[in-house]
Amino acid sequence: MNAILEVKNLTTVFGPRAAPIKAVSNVSFEVSPGRVLGLVGESGSGKSVTARSVMRLLSARGRVTEGSVMFEGQDILELSEKDMLNKRGKDIAMVFQDPQSTLNPVVRVGTQIMEALEVHGVSKAEARERAKELLDQVGIPEPETALDRYPHQFSGGMRQRVVIAIALAHKPKLLIADEPTTALDVTIQAQILQLLADLRHQLGIAVIMITHDMGVVAELCDDLVVMYAGRVVERGTVEEVFRAPRHAYTAALFSAMPSVDGNEDILRAIPGNPPVATNLPSGCAFRDRCSFADDRCKNVIPELFQLSDTHSAACARADEHERDLSPPIPAQVASNSNEASGKEDTPILEVRNLHTDVNASAKGLFRKHNPIYAVDDISFKVFPGQTLGLVGESGCGKSTLSRTIVGINQVTSGSIIVDGRDVTAMSDEDRKHIAKTLQYVFQDPSGSLNPRRTIGQSLQEALEIVGLHGDAALRRSHELADQVGLSRTHLARFPYELSGGQKQRVGIARALSVNPKVLICDEPVSALDVSIQAQIINLLAQLRDELNLGFLFIAHDLSVVRHISDQLAVMYLGRFVETGAAHQIYNAPNHPYTKSLLSAIPTADIDVDPTQRIVLTGDMPSLANPPSGCRFRTRCPMGPVYANGRQSCVDLDPKLIDAGDARLSACHHWKDVTKAMTTEALK
Amino acid sequence: MTTSVQKTSWRTNPTLIRYALAFQSSKGMAALALVFAITSVALLAPVLFPQGYDFQTRNALVGPSWQHPFGTDEIGRDLMVRAIYGLRTDLGLIFTAVPLSMAIGTILGLLGIISRRLGDWVQRGLDVIAGFPGLILGICIVIVVGTGWLALFIAITIAGLPSFGRLARATLLTQMNREYVIAAMTLGVSKWKIMIRHILPQAAETIIAQGAVFVVAAVFIEAALSIVGLGLQPPEPSLGTLLNIGMLYVTLTPMYVIGPTVILIILALAFSLLADALNEAVNQR
Repeated sequence: MNAILEVKNLTTVFGPRAAPIKAVSNVSFEVSPGRVLGLVGESGSGKSVTARSVMRLLSARGRVTEGSVMFEGQDILELSEKDMLNKRGKDIAMVFQDPQSTLNPVVRVGTQIMEALEVHGVSKAEARERAKELLDQVGIPEPETALDRYPHQFSGGMRQRVVIAIALAHKPKLLIADEPTTALDVTIQAQILQLLADLRHQLGIAVIMITHDMGVVAELCDDLVVMYAGRVVERGTVEEVFRAPRHAYTAALFSAMPSVDGNEDILRAIPGNPPVATNLPSGCAFRDRCSFADDRCKNVIPELFQLSDTHSAACARADEHERDLSPPIPAQVASNSNEASGKEDTPILEVRNLHTDVNASAKGLFRKHNPIYAVDDISFKVFPGQTLGLVGESGCGKSTLSRTIVGINQVTSGSIIVDGRDVTAMSDEDRKHIAKTLQYVFQDPSGSLNPRRTIGQSLQEALEIVGLHGDAALRRSHELADQVGLSRTHLARFPYELSGGQKQRVGIARALSVNPKVLICDEPVSALDVSIQAQIINLLAQLRDELNLGFLFIAHDLSVVRHISDQLAVMYLGRFVETGAAHQIYNAPNHPYTKSLLSAIPTADIDVDPTQRIVLTGDMPSLANPPSGCRFRTRCPMGPVYANGRQSCVDLDPKLIDAGDARLSACHHWKDVTKAMTTEALK
Repeated sequence: MTTSVQKTSWRTNPTLIRYALAFQSSKGMAALALVFAITSVALLAPVLFPQGYDFQTRNALVGPSWQHPFGTDEIGRDLMVRAIYGLRTDLGLIFTAVPLSMAIGTILGLLGIISRRLGDWVQRGLDVIAGFPGLILGICIVIVVGTGWLALFIAITIAGLPSFGRLARATLLTQMNREYVIAAMTLGVSKWKIMIRHILPQAAETIIAQGAVFVVAAVFIEAALSIVGLGLQPPEPSLGTLLNIGMLYVTLTPMYVIGPTVILIILALAFSLLADALNEAVNQR
């Protein structure tokens, strides 16, 4: 193979010379033109540091102590800074995670692309021509006018396209993409992945794709390097690794991933937390969390064991070919609540025809008020011991909905009934009732804990509300810590001393401290690593069953919700487009949007053909100016844009209509969804 | 038993502990030592220089010597003694007016928690204060309370309000959008408690840092009012009056200006270091 980049024995350390901390140890891999290498690992595994070492963009405290990075036969680490400047952006380009912060908000998009060209000596007029070409190449419509727009005039997906255009400006030979789709919605992620795949074929460039998502790897990558605690634990072609992972960590990662077609109620979580670079266990760094660890793993750091020309794994058991290395299926924690308690008739939380105007504060004496309904005629019920999964892309109004229920946003019309009491008016009494009945688990576990206060203090604050002080509060906080799987010593610590998963456990403990009957979980796992996601989902499911809680579980990703939901609601532009029993919706969606969402999720299965995927075009329209008729019609693969004779979608606003089996669908043509939404039919 | 250990960690306030830890850093210790030294010199002035600030020698406007390190002024008074007595006046103002201004400014800024509109009105009020030239404000105060220490005290307190008030409001607005504040609200924690627990500690940080900066400004306000005769009346010395009179003689005896300036710099340095050390300790991650 003609590798364009060969990384050999790369070791990068941080901190003082006397006590360096190894962030990356002994990492080797190579990338060839036209191939995509997936660099997979959880946060802190050293994948981004590896990429930055290759780009020589380490922060001041980091340095490469060993190894070589050969780019086209030349060691990049030996180059002078001036020569390196020439390579960066020209031969090697990088795409970062968050397009929002990569682009300068006050500079026109065209100028930013042209700047990338001009630094490497392209004249202004040529640069403008080339910039237009690039925008066209990355699929931005009307490149001429797009050049003169500012980043905020583009959606997140479009911005990421611009970032990719900048990276491609000089036809680089190597493109390093650091989690380029993590900040995007699933349907937009599907678009960007498709774009990257197309570009790779058209331009024949080598790509390093840094990601935590095995689904992305399956979809886009040819080769795969799995990192754990700064080391490569497994390496091979995607085919080899996906068919037979030979490192226990890789195998565990596969089974911990929530998936849309998984049938298990309990996810096979990887226990424990990822190790921190400052405090690695002796021997194999994964041994604490591995279900197969034995004495061998304790003493020796396993070397990469060559399994085939391309496949190798750094596990003491790598040669035990027959063995299934996935962790054992956990024992069923509690019997499924649905059968145990039977269906209860009184909902614990009920929302009727709720409207929330997010533009209400813009009312003025001389301004005409334009209501913007982020929540538009929403009704649902949550029963004790059951989960209502609420799915939708960012901007669909799901967070506004949950915030309206707890009284942060004002109700415009409709009613909210919490445990038999109508709290729509949100009087002080109502708020007290809500606080005791209904609690909130936040998305960002770091943001929802005050960094200045210890975990104990944060819990204490919640316990005061239910009148627990002093020793009683201390005892209860111990109970809560036990309940969510935290150690009691965590109570004296500050949030920054805890890992993301532990912080989320604190968030859950705090929500439980008032003995609520309903939990609103607002994307509780989307900020967490895959192995931790499974732990938290399992914990939530277990608590729901033990405490007979009703859940409103919000997510942007259908695969996460699948494992915990009984009922499901799919939201688009402020409205529900489909509701019903979760397993039925997953099996046969009755709305084209649901179908597209399901299809957009990259699955960690190499047998799925990515070209069979339904990729929605365009972005979600603005709430301020929703399309007439069906709000989804501008993107609907079976709607008027693609199919003739769908005039009703433009003229008539579809209401949620009965689609049998207690399911509702807001599509005029719901009966056609299964038939019309196959890739063949769409072509 | 383990519970007793945990009980202590439960009851003690970690925020205060972190503030206390500030003085363990070399910066914190240096700051504390400087502030302590300055304060004690000022407090002990009557003991160290029992003749008082008004004692005249025969030599007017002489340069620095061992006997008079800063030289003497136009009527032969020792300038170092006058500067140290002046420091006394200024420290007196700094330790009273600045904290008071910080406290009132913070309260005004945080009033916005009651309602957004009230907060807006308070800010407009502060804008008016900020818009007034300091001297006019001073004159207005003198008209009401007469010249002297009290006028200076009130003038400095009022002059600080806009900056402290604005900082407090800025913190309030950003903190109200923080998830942990929203989390507290959904728990049903009262606004008052949210303010004390989550917003005030955060606001205190920037305000304390700003307070150290304002200390220097306070000395200049004192000087500005004193020169037009609205502040302290001669012969009572202050750093500001010394600097102002010194300007007249700067070509003859540069030490007239340099001396008080050095003291002012040490004063500013001490408080800046203090603010810095506190900031680092509280913001450590």
